[in-house]
Amino acid sequence: MNSMIAMHDAIPALSPTVLLGSTDAAHVNMALLMSAILFACGLVGFLSRRNMIIMFLCTELMFQAAALAMIAFGKVHQDISGQVFVIFILTVAAAEAALALGLIVLLYRRRETLDSEAWSELKEA
Amino acid sequence: MRRSGAPENIREHGMDRLFLNQLPPVPDLLSALWPAASSLLAESASTAGPVSPALVLTIASAISAIGLALLLRPGPRGVRLAGTVGGLAGFSILVVEVLKRAGEGDGGVPPVFPVVFGAIALFGAVRMITHARPVFAALYFILVVIATAAMFLLLGAEFMAFALIIVYAGAILITYMFVLMLAQQSPSGEQGAAWYDRVPREAGSAVIIGFVMLASLSEAYFSQGSQRFRDDIAARAEEEGALAAWRRLDAMPKLMLETAQAAANQAWRSAPEAERSAEKPAIASLVRDARGSSLRSERSGLEDGISVEVQFADGSMGLVLLPDSMRPDNSRQIGVDLVSRYPAGLEIAGVVLLMALFGAVILARKQIELGEDERRELAGMRRLTVDGEPGGAGGAR
Repeated sequence: MNSMIAMHDAIPALSPTVLLGSTDAAHVNMALLMSAILFACGLVGFLSRRNMIIMFLCTELMFQAAALAMIAFGKVHQDISGQVFVIFILTVAAAEAALALGLIVLLYRRRETLDSEAWSELKEA
Repeated sequence: MRRSGAPENIREHGMDRLFLNQLPPVPDLLSALWPAASSLLAESASTAGPVSPALVLTIASAISAIGLALLLRPGPRGVRLAGTVGGLAGFSILVVEVLKRAGEGDGGVPPVFPVVFGAIALFGAVRMITHARPVFAALYFILVVIATAAMFLLLGAEFMAFALIIVYAGAILITYMFVLMLAQQSPSGEQGAAWYDRVPREAGSAVIIGFVMLASLSEAYFSQGSQRFRDDIAARAEEEGALAAWRRLDAMPKLMLETAQAAANQAWRSAPEAERSAEKPAIASLVRDARGSSLRSERSGLEDGISVEVQFADGSMGLVLLPDSMRPDNSRQIGVDLVSRYPAGLEIAGVVLLMALFGAVILARKQIELGEDERRELAGMRRLTVDGEPGGAGGAR
């Protein structure tokens, strides 16, 4: 029974990495950089925009950045768990979108505006 | 130049092909340009004195933050152009710095795809947070999603890339579009956008916070040790990736048994007629070692590769070499990992979605039922349609 013969693929998979000769490290580094940049963009947008819908869109952007970082670190550690956690991120993002958008429609009907300043009496000062 | 050395008849028929042949291929062109650009950058850095990599990252983040601050406020064209140039300059310095840490730039070909998709994602994100019209902001977010999905593909996460496009671009963004239509404000002022979409709120402090975020994140990622992730990735070579993939499958005994049987069948079929046994080997069970693993990655006497230890139906033990072509692919690994390692998370995700469904239904329902009478009642006015039961406690609703 020990005479099993190994099967080897003759042709290596033709991936973009092979075509362009760049390394995984470059992809991982770029993905991490983009996740930092996208998160910062989402943060700036969340803090500076007044439109409630855009503010929630910016939180989606931050989710996106977190997912990118998860997948990049999963690649670094050769662990699929990074990708599994992106599934959970997607779930939370979908649930959040459903609830937040329902709330936004509710708030819009109360004040007839999407301006978050319309609710600024919630502030302390 | 185009016809140099080409015989007359080839020039007639193969003009296009000849021309293409004489163009240097794109990667060659890039590899020719890349060292020049990076040496230019290194030179400028060396003439400015020794600059610590952390400082370079911080300065680049500051430049791009200033560019973003210029873009955020509604301003004349010149200011916007200056903001764009500043943001792009900061971004390119960051990219060059980061790629240097990946070991690119010393003669190698620069990675084109991640940089291109990164630039697309950056463009989409910046337009999204600066565009005055919410619908366009949502559309630019779809651009970001697609660019991110492309980066997922480059990182080998095929399933998540397509799931991202389906869930985000297909479902969530459509919901946003519907809400934008439901909560449509009447166009007022110039450009047809509401004032609160045109004027940012405290853009300066927002950009400062974003800059702190970007600078600290990029330093945490890239300043400790110049080639941190490159070494990590080199240490975990392809071999370990394959082993990890098989280990996922090994967590599902039945699937592993089926795969081992298939591998054994394949090896039996491809063996020469004289050497193989009369009938296909039948695998009875997997043989687990002390750690509960049936995989053997060390040299097993067959050939280098990952094999699985099994007990055959006739009682003999043996190793079956697992061929690369049978290695579980990305989506299979995710599925197996999801049910074998994170079953509780999977259940909770289902509960979260169900609760979100209930929540959305309840939110919508409450709004519909808040009719004229309830509003009058809340305002302390008389109900319009009461007869007999003024403000019935709960039952009326």
